[in-house]
Amino acid sequence: MKNRLEELRKARGLRQEELADALEVSRQTIGSLENGRYNPSIQLAFKIARYFSLTIEDIFIYEEETK
Amino acid sequence: MKKNAWNVLFVLLGLLAVAAGLWLLRAGAGFGAARALPYVCIGVGCGLFGQGAGELLAARAVRGDPALQRRLEVERADERNRAISDRAKGRAFDRMTFVYSALMLTFALMKVELAAVLLLVAAYLFVEFSAVYDRCKLEKEM
Repeated sequence: MKNRLEELRKARGLRQEELADALEVSRQTIGSLENGRYNPSIQLAFKIARYFSLTIEDIFIYEEETK
Repeated sequence: MKKNAWNVLFVLLGLLAVAAGLWLLRAGAGFGAARALPYVCIGVGCGLFGQGAGELLAARAVRGDPALQRRLEVERADERNRAISDRAKGRAFDRMTFVYSALMLTFALMKVELAAVLLLVAAYLFVEFSAVYDRCKLEKEM
């Protein structure tokens, strides 16, 4: 799943550590989310959306897997 | 009971078990299967002491550093870390199933004492049935 996390974080001038602190997750989790290597739980997705005052759909882009 | 109190208890029990093991070893107590008792006591004692002392030292290291304490707490509760740990445990369990099976077959072919093979089979079945039990429990919960 793609997401706009890196773009949103950079637009606010935040470092990964600062965002991780605010969301109470590790810095590695933020890095993995930004690289698309890890998909967050629904709770974390809501937390991220609330933090940026956006909806989940504004941040995470769902793409159907092509066979 | 507080976590630190448990750790102090583990340290004390560990020391007690090691002391008892050494005493039994020196006294030459036991016969038959009980001859292994001193070594079991020493092994269990070392494990308990190591666990308790390790936790106490870790708690002491982060005391007076709330930032480090919070970071460790976040790392422990981090959902990605937990997902990684759970997935690794799952894979290890799958591998363990094969290892146990191979070991049981090897023991049987080596004509190892029946009691030892049956103990291994019992341990294998216990682990497999506990996995089935947890699966059923989680099916109801989720």
